[in-house]
Amino acid sequence: MLEPLLTAFSYLFSDPLNLLYLVLGVTVGVLFGIIPGLGGATAIALLLPLTFGMSPEQAIVLMGSVMGAVSAGGAVTAILLNTPGTAPNAATCFDGYPLTKQGKAGIAIGAAASASAIGGIFGLFILAMVLPIAKSIVLWFGPPAFFMLALLGLTSLTVSSGNMLRGLIAGCIGLFIGFVGYDEIGGTERYTGGVDYLWDGLSIVPVLIGLFAIAEMLALFVKGGSISEAGSQSRIRFSDTLQGIKETLKNLKIVASGSVIGSLIGAVPGIGGVVASFMSYSFASQISEDNSKFGHGDIRGVIAPEAANNAKDGGGLIPTLAFGVPGTAEMALFLGVLILHGLNPGPMLLIEREYTIFVLILTMLGATILSASFICLAAYYLVRIAYIDSSILIPSVVSVSLVGAYAVHNTIGDVFAAAFFGVIGYLMIRFDYPRITLVIALVLCSLMERNYTQSMIMFDGDWSGFFRDNTALTLFMCSVLALCVPLIQVIRKKKS
Amino acid sequence: MRILSYFCLIILLSACSDGANNNGVYPQENISIVIPYGPGGGFDTTVRVFSPHFARKLGNDVTLLPENMPGTGGRRGTAMISRSDPDGYTIGILNLPGLVLPSILGEKVDFQLREMSWIGRIESQNYALLVQADSHIQSLDDFIAEEEITFVSIGYGTTVLAAIQIVAEQLGLMDKDIKFLTGYSGTSDQLVALVRGDGNATITPISTSFQYVKSGNLRPIVVTGDSRSSYYPDTPTFAELGHPVLSQLNVQRSLAGPPGMDPAVLGKLREAFLQVMEDPEFLAAASQAQMDIAPLNGEMAAAEIDKNFQYYEGFKANLSNPNQL
Repeated sequence: MLEPLLTAFSYLFSDPLNLLYLVLGVTVGVLFGIIPGLGGATAIALLLPLTFGMSPEQAIVLMGSVMGAVSAGGAVTAILLNTPGTAPNAATCFDGYPLTKQGKAGIAIGAAASASAIGGIFGLFILAMVLPIAKSIVLWFGPPAFFMLALLGLTSLTVSSGNMLRGLIAGCIGLFIGFVGYDEIGGTERYTGGVDYLWDGLSIVPVLIGLFAIAEMLALFVKGGSISEAGSQSRIRFSDTLQGIKETLKNLKIVASGSVIGSLIGAVPGIGGVVASFMSYSFASQISEDNSKFGHGDIRGVIAPEAANNAKDGGGLIPTLAFGVPGTAEMALFLGVLILHGLNPGPMLLIEREYTIFVLILTMLGATILSASFICLAAYYLVRIAYIDSSILIPSVVSVSLVGAYAVHNTIGDVFAAAFFGVIGYLMIRFDYPRITLVIALVLCSLMERNYTQSMIMFDGDWSGFFRDNTALTLFMCSVLALCVPLIQVIRKKKS
Repeated sequence: MRILSYFCLIILLSACSDGANNNGVYPQENISIVIPYGPGGGFDTTVRVFSPHFARKLGNDVTLLPENMPGTGGRRGTAMISRSDPDGYTIGILNLPGLVLPSILGEKVDFQLREMSWIGRIESQNYALLVQADSHIQSLDDFIAEEEITFVSIGYGTTVLAAIQIVAEQLGLMDKDIKFLTGYSGTSDQLVALVRGDGNATITPISTSFQYVKSGNLRPIVVTGDSRSSYYPDTPTFAELGHPVLSQLNVQRSLAGPPGMDPAVLGKLREAFLQVMEDPEFLAAASQAQMDIAPLNGEMAAAEIDKNFQYYEGFKANLSNPNQL
């Protein structure tokens, strides 16, 4: 393993062009991450034609640095505008935005950037370690295990919502929305009303843009003024960012648990980063001794999801490289780039092109660190967004978000969907329903349903089959455990 | 701020200038090439490899702009191609039999494949019937003798499931304990499911399966097509084993424009297309991207439509959803 690693290392530094591609990729990645709606997938699609004349390794350097940088960028908007720049940053809003309101945006950004960097490094380290056994990890997850994993994801929602009933209601609405569209297994259209746009179901990005970006701007419009309620622009200090980095280093345990959750969930195709970062958040709030401040501006609530968020990229590469099964839209595009350059992802890639994989890992490592440093350095200026008057902020954010919604699939339907969910999102803010619960239920719905039906076909309708599959059984136990945690806490409190 | 204004100015200026060559010959402006599927997939790769070479052969310094229009299983993008002006500035890549199947299965379609202006076929992929490498099934006869068969497949309405259903019917498997485990998200996903043992057989395009066979996870039993595949020279074809009907199963990627295109424009596109198909530079790029180049000229590509309609119409009774609720 050491030899291809060294070859990859010397390759990266042998050609100054590689470093140029790294910086270009990181810049594009951070920018696309920051802008809601635009994410890694859009960035890769736009940069793809640029790679035509490149060698496979150069293309990998460019794309790898985009992928390594995007999720760190997305945290910035989550913290400042309560609008996740990319879907997996959604959980960062919980505590990041309250911190901004309290005038502590600089600290939050510093913590988020450093947590992503450490999480990212951790995730890539795990990737490098498990590559030789990557195959068996993917093979653990058949339809029964996928179903149980989705169930675990939904369970973690109920545990972590502040108001459980409202959380459950929002989750159910998410599941309902998830049923819209063509059912591939049953072969029927559901709740589409004959509208072609709904045939594929509602995709996550326009819903997210509506629920967060548009809804937040509506709320700000009603409230008036600027986002930050405390502090003033003249009090922004660079030392805030440094304090954020210190906070991360103080909470290494949370960074570590977030990274592990991120890499594990990331390795399971189809679940995606939203669930990874959310589960990391709820896990952190559960293991923390004093968790009363979670949701009201606890810095640990920023660190946990961001660590998971960057760690998931390392995990996400496992199914993509080892099997050509992409977990996210971003990975699907990256897969296309690999194929275009004659690298056929699949079991042989890991054996035949070990060195190329290490180029990718090293690039992403560099991109993770570089993007975090970019953001820390820029934080001083970025934080000013929180003090901009709403009359300037609202039109800019709304127009950029709607363009972002359109850019995903080049369809105007997505823009209408974003606007529609904007109103829904505002109502949810107004009546205090958790929006992320809806999003996660929406993400998990089709996965859960499809794998349930597949399992039923496999088991001939006998649901006890779920308990004969080892992975599924383990995940089921985890769900039971997660449900018991609040109960145990209540009992412990009563005793003391 | 000033840099930003300059940047905006440059963008505005570049938007105003159009690179028209006024020699009056088509093409005078850039050509959109619609891909009815998302970026990163097989159709997308084909277009991205093909379009720069095609642009060069068309001349006049035009560029081909790939436009992804995914949705409704390819029907949205195809309808878009069909509805656009037949001026030669919008063409697209189409899936056969993927776009033939919806009308046979009784779904609403907003395009008439037979009336489109066919430019030529780029790719045709044959299928392989695969089992796990350590399976006791060694030959097609073993396979037919097997009592319990579970095919893993992508969802209802796709070419792969249709191929599986036709194979099952022709081999007389329908009376046995046979299951169609559908719903996987793509052919790679399907191959992983077979490696994992969710089922015991599947059918995918040969080139997709190659990696898994090479790595010793899966084993091909039989392939479609008129002759043996260069990937699996030792694997017999269905025709060799007495099932010539099944050798016609394949998936094709052809270029077409909207109905009613000016014959001169269509002629120019067809001519440039055939030149690309013989261009060694294109062929090298295509083989690097693992494409299965199988060129057909415009007329012959158009004739494939009727052939496909006839073929799949004949199996209509077997193509109903195996997991209908």
